Amino acid sequence: MSLMTMIVKMSEGLGKTCAIFFLTLLFSLPLGMIVALLRMSKVKVVSTITRFFITVIRGTPLMLQLLAVTYGPYYLFRANVSRNKLIPVVIAFSINYAAYFAEIYRGGIESISIGQYEAAEVLGYSKFQTFMRIILPQVIKRIMPSVTNEVVTLVKDTSMAFTVSYQEMFTIGKQIANSQTSFMPFVVAGVFYYIFNAIVDYLMGRIEKSLDYYR
Amino acid sequence: MADFNNMESMGGQKARNILAVNALRKAFGSLQVLKDISLHVEQGNVVSVIGPSGSGKSTLLRCISFLEKADGGDILYDGQYAVKDGVYATKAELNRFRTRFGLVFQNFNLFPHYSVMKNITEPPMIRGENREIVTERASALLKKMGLEGKENAYPCQLSGGQQQRVAIARALALNPEILFFDEPTSALDPELTGEVLKVIRQLAEEKMTMVVVTHEMPFARAVSNRVIFMDKGVIVEEGHPEQVLGSPQQERTRQFLRNYQR
Ligand SMILES: Nc1ncnc2c1ncn2[C@@H]1O[C@H](COP(=O)(O)OP(=O)(O)OP(=O)(O)O)[C@@H](O)[C@H]1O
Ligand SMILES: [Mg+2]
Repeated sequence: MSLMTMIVKMSEGLGKTCAIFFLTLLFSLPLGMIVALLRMSKVKVVSTITRFFITVIRGTPLMLQLLAVTYGPYYLFRANVSRNKLIPVVIAFSINYAAYFAEIYRGGIESISIGQYEAAEVLGYSKFQTFMRIILPQVIKRIMPSVTNEVVTLVKDTSMAFTVSYQEMFTIGKQIANSQTSFMPFVVAGVFYYIFNAIVDYLMGRIEKSLDYYR
Repeated sequence: MADFNNMESMGGQKARNILAVNALRKAFGSLQVLKDISLHVEQGNVVSVIGPSGSGKSTLLRCISFLEKADGGDILYDGQYAVKDGVYATKAELNRFRTRFGLVFQNFNLFPHYSVMKNITEPPMIRGENREIVTERASALLKKMGLEGKENAYPCQLSGGQQQRVAIARALALNPEILFFDEPTSALDPELTGEVLKVIRQLAEEKMTMVVVTHEMPFARAVSNRVIFMDKGVIVEEGHPEQVLGSPQQERTRQFLRNYQR
């Protein structure tokens, strides 16, 4: 198989790689905020359960979580494994990344001085207005570097989908590597991820820069 | 000097109490920080609160601005109960009471992601005021604070003194009946305290009602109608500034002022 055919075949999986990437961000970024708020809840039971959830997600391999979400329903309920693997893959990724984002959000929220809340309260902002207008924008600025890290990791983590044979770029590459006994597909995959992340880096840098107008 | 006690009710007419506090109590755990504090502030008066560190000055301001929940006592604004016998008015009522006072913090607490203008205009706009009216008022306030041309600056681009003056403008933009200051110059470099004290003095001349917690004795002496000396959660002595600062009656006051001069 020529290098060109290899690249073309693997590019066909790039759409699915992007699907995992964007759908995961779409769901995990807001879900992470909900998890962070539950984690910081004043209701002890809620915060304890949430903290346990986070330690489980962060303390076990993503690969295992992918297998659990994809095949768990079959072993538990004899339910059919869904034909479209994108759904379980995105669910597993979203839950996993939500746990990581939650801890980043929490760190950011807790780093905002209490004085910001007090000033807002005295000036008549409601709790919701305080969070949306005063706290959240400052949190976003502070956590951008950590979020960028996670997003870069997510690009590479999409390759984990091979564990459930979801036909994204890396899975196709691995199959080619096996059938052709060639290392070349891995090199191609490496280049793809590198370019993907170069774009991610550029875009995140732009966002960070746009928040540079204040300290 | 005239009879100090009569100066508060000039002309024999009973002045309107913008703020009245009766037997206010507050404890943090087993530490009783405010022990039956009573005070009142008449319209147009400036009351300075002095006292050693930990005497409860900040806690007092935080209780009357609802940042801290008092354990007992009354808080009245313009004769209306916000807190009666330790029982607070409803959330909506408290929010209405909040429009009556403004609070200026020691470390400004401006919103760093907002321009100077937005820091001042957003709170009144959140309360439903019209943008044009609020912007006009903010411009006038900035001019008064000597901050013309800083509308579009961000707090981080300003000196501490300028930031504090923005914070004062922000509080004034809500048209409060009374302003509270908690050591407004303590976080400033010494050469910047003057510009902040000057605007507070100017407000006093315009008969803005104010309560100022301060360590600036000459300022308290020059600007206040009344000085309150607090220690260990009680008001030890209060009266005309010349009396409290010039010839204090209580030994604790004398001791505090002596330590202060050294
Ligand atoms: N949130 C809190 N929890 C526990 N103790 C507190 C709290 N806030 C204040 N205190 C205590 O209450 C006492 C009074 O504090 P407060 O800040 O009112 O004093 P202050 O007169 O403003 O002092 P300073 O001149 O240093 O500002 C202090 O002993 C302080 O440690
Ligand atoms: Mg204090």
